[in-house]
Amino acid sequence: MAAAVAAHSFVLLFPIAVVAGFVGAMSGMGGGIILIPALTLLGIGIKQAIAISILSVIATSSGSASAYVRDHITNLKVGMFLEMFTIVGAIVGAHLTLAMTARPLYLAFGLVLLGSWVALLVAGHASWQGGTVQDAFTRWLELEGAYYDQAHGRLIEYKARRAYFGAVLMWGAGMIAGLLGIGAGAVKVLIHDLVMGLPPKVSTTTSNLIIGVTALAGASVYLAHGLITPTLAAPVALGVVLGAFAGTRVLVRLSNQAVRRFFLVVLIALAVEMLYRGIGGAV
Amino acid sequence: MTTPSPAAGGARSVTGADARMDTLVGTLLLIGVAVSMVLITAGLVWSFAQTGHAVLHYRIVGMNFYRFAVATARSVGRGHVSPELLVNAGIATLMLTPFLRVVASVIYFAGVLRNPKYTLFTTFVLVVLTWSLFLRF
Repeated sequence: MAAAVAAHSFVLLFPIAVVAGFVGAMSGMGGGIILIPALTLLGIGIKQAIAISILSVIATSSGSASAYVRDHITNLKVGMFLEMFTIVGAIVGAHLTLAMTARPLYLAFGLVLLGSWVALLVAGHASWQGGTVQDAFTRWLELEGAYYDQAHGRLIEYKARRAYFGAVLMWGAGMIAGLLGIGAGAVKVLIHDLVMGLPPKVSTTTSNLIIGVTALAGASVYLAHGLITPTLAAPVALGVVLGAFAGTRVLVRLSNQAVRRFFLVVLIALAVEMLYRGIGGAV
Repeated sequence: MTTPSPAAGGARSVTGADARMDTLVGTLLLIGVAVSMVLITAGLVWSFAQTGHAVLHYRIVGMNFYRFAVATARSVGRGHVSPELLVNAGIATLMLTPFLRVVASVIYFAGVLRNPKYTLFTTFVLVVLTWSLFLRF
């Protein structure tokens, strides 16, 4: 079946990748979460789909990080400290994927989709309260900063906290990224927001920076294992980047509620499909 | 050149060195992704012009990133340019982009900020990434 896909790969893969990149950027969930289930539906093995996806994650995260970094919102120290944990997690995750059979991977992916669905369902209630008290370890790490908020027209100062807890959780987020070939941006943003107390803008942009390096660590393992096939990877990477580029521009014109509702339906459908294949369906 | 940290110099939005670093990193990431996408597009368009299909039938087997990048660079050096080579160069450029960002961060923390703690952290990230690029199975 994979050979059948390869024979007309561009015609099939490119539009799917564009849609995945577009929806991923619009929802803020990243392209991989749509792309991998779509590729497996085409008959591509889940391990190969994961490998191809993680390569395109490098492209989308680096592309969007380039704009954020130049806006001076990204916190490089937070990024570098946490990358120590995410890259090790990603390498471990990628090795686990290589050692596993397909079925547990479908199950794990289904559970991540389900988790993302729940996160999206309950999202949007927490708001950032500044002025947290820093613990000694986080202060030693110099994890604080300030940025100019254009919407509010003022300087926002912040101090991160609980870096020790954030680091452990980020190792896990890196492992999910390496294991399943996704950016796991939603998980990283949650850790930044809820555990480390970073303002939403800082957590989103810094997470983007971390995702690129984390994806590279995973992609290296998959490349060395011969799973990054240019036949499939080239049209997918190109499509996801173009889709993401368009998605970030459309975002401002569509209402958040419409995007959210649409994405809730897509996520639950894909979650059920992947869980079904993990439990007993065709893999 | 040293830059006062927010802790030492009070909260400030962006210092001069930080701003230059942000601009450098942002530009590096943008150029890396753009060059990679142009190379992949060129390879696919070339393949389409030759065969009528934007399909490349080949695999990258038994190579880690280092060998893959060296083999690609050698082919470019010999002038053996083909659609496959352009796509390979695109994939190699894409993977090098975040790697170079980390290299820039090490230089920034070691040479500009002279911050031993973060020089150590970024060097650790660089060493692990470099090791992963040399993995063999």
